[in-house]
Amino acid sequence: MLTNSGPVAKLYLSIIDDVIESMKELFLDEGLEDRVLDDLRHLWESKMMQSKAMEDFRKNNVNSTNFVLQLPVSYTQADRNQDLAAPVMIPTTQNIHSLPVKNNTKTPATFSLPAALAYPVQIPAGVTLQTASGQLYKVNVPVVVTQAPVGQQPASHLSKKVPERSKVPASQPAAIPPNPVLLHEPEPSSAPSSVITQTRTSLALIQENSLPHEPPGAEVTLGENEANSQPEPLNIGVTASPCPQFLDFQISAEEAAFAQKKHSRDIDEILKEVIEEERVKAKRARKLAGNAGNHSGTDLGLDLDYAYSELSDIVQMDGPADNSDPEQDEEVPPEENDFLGLINAEAIRALQEENGSDGNSISSSSDDGGADELSNVEEDPLNSGDDVVEQDIPDLFDTDNVIVCQYDKIHRSKNRWKFHLKDGVMSYGGRDYVFSKAIGEAEW
Amino acid sequence: MESNNDEALDIIVTNVVATFRTRCHLNLRKIALEGINVIYKPEVGKVLMKLRKPTITASIWSSGKIICTGATSEEEAKLGARRLARCLQKLGFKVRFSAFRVVNVLAVCSMPFAVHLIDFTKNNRPIASYEPELHPAATYRIKNLKATVQVFSTGSLTVTGHGTNTYP
Repeated sequence: MLTNSGPVAKLYLSIIDDVIESMKELFLDEGLEDRVLDDLRHLWESKMMQSKAMEDFRKNNVNSTNFVLQLPVSYTQADRNQDLAAPVMIPTTQNIHSLPVKNNTKTPATFSLPAALAYPVQIPAGVTLQTASGQLYKVNVPVVVTQAPVGQQPASHLSKKVPERSKVPASQPAAIPPNPVLLHEPEPSSAPSSVITQTRTSLALIQENSLPHEPPGAEVTLGENEANSQPEPLNIGVTASPCPQFLDFQISAEEAAFAQKKHSRDIDEILKEVIEEERVKAKRARKLAGNAGNHSGTDLGLDLDYAYSELSDIVQMDGPADNSDPEQDEEVPPEENDFLGLINAEAIRALQEENGSDGNSISSSSDDGGADELSNVEEDPLNSGDDVVEQDIPDLFDTDNVIVCQYDKIHRSKNRWKFHLKDGVMSYGGRDYVFSKAIGEAEW
Repeated sequence: MESNNDEALDIIVTNVVATFRTRCHLNLRKIALEGINVIYKPEVGKVLMKLRKPTITASIWSSGKIICTGATSEEEAKLGARRLARCLQKLGFKVRFSAFRVVNVLAVCSMPFAVHLIDFTKNNRPIASYEPELHPAATYRIKNLKATVQVFSTGSLTVTGHGTNTYP
């Protein structure tokens, strides 16, 4: 409900639900209002989101394809540069068959950009674009989609993707012909290639079923790189608008190579528009999620603009989920010192007791009265801390990674340990994981 | 039996077992919960604590008796035992290191030749005993040293005996 549907998130939410439900009676009996319970629930969820949301959102942005954007068909030159529009939330559909570039357990939803969307569109990372022809491009870096100037033919190249081109499902191509605006002539290599190049590193053509009820996807067509233009089902409208800043480094780097052609930019701009939309959309989604953690919302919104590689850097972890090794290390010595003081006192007392009783015979206070020989060997001075220093190594790796679970079997041979665990939850690297079975090995 | 050759025989002490007492009752559960590197064996009634520095495994009983195994020399055993006692002290017990005693020293050696156990036993009738059904090695006891040598047919020997500074 409030989260991206990771399995962990689902579990936690269900737990929250259960608890709240079972508490309702009690609360009412106590005379507390329902509102209190609701407040509690919201607080709980928000805190949970705050700490765990990081992982979910982060995971999503970094890895997965959340949704598929369909670029709108219609486009008017006039509209360009205006509203990087309000994000349009079109009822999502599940993408049945998409190949995630990275591990993605979530089925991405599909959104379609409004028909009147103005280019350039900014597309955030982690988005899959679907062109009118039904081909999917996974965007791993923020790109800008712009529209080609009139009269240009799509010239697309994704050399490695070419073989994968799927022919448009029926509904899509229908959209294509009626838009002369979008056709543009075969571009010289630069134009389309820029689009391609910017996403080249990450674009993956994905076969996909058409989404019939979508308004015909925008035509994002990429022309052949080489002049052999084929009438690609993909059309990109490219504007001549200057690319917004969303053109990011990778894009611009590659663009530099091709940057001569304005058109190259244009294609980007379309994508950028889409990105922008998505970004705004995502921001809204996050605000909806009601996360109190401000940085999750804003950062993530901003993150989308950043380089892919920076995404994970930016997300901050604070509060319960951080690793505070330095703190812990500092803590340990002071504790020990205090303890040393205690021990010292005790040891000294003990020593004094014994010495008082004359080294040869154990005083009656000792347990084994009969063992006189033992008394000879009262090597008591445990020189607390001095030579009999305790283990230096111990809390070297006191981490916050915790597993709470039940065990089926724990086995050890010499110093090799084997764990068969079940029904556990663990916090590792700040993220939460839940398992029903786990097997581990370790060396001591 | 005799080794008059010039080759030196490497005899290696592989295990030293020592015991000591803490003179105080130990709460095994507390040790198991708060100690580090401990294995609790409630079915037997002891806690195993493993040390890294001198590689030592200690069995700790609630009576305060502790058996230290795994050391490679007697000094090491003593050092490990003291470290262990220190650990227990830090856990909050009034530990008094007492009655340290090396109980057993195990050394291993290998003859460059094989030994025919039946003949060996026959020739050393009262001192050596060999019961193949019980144990594949012949046992040769040296009374004055209070040591036992186990002779295997491959020529490997294990020597077990008291430590040099055993207390009566």
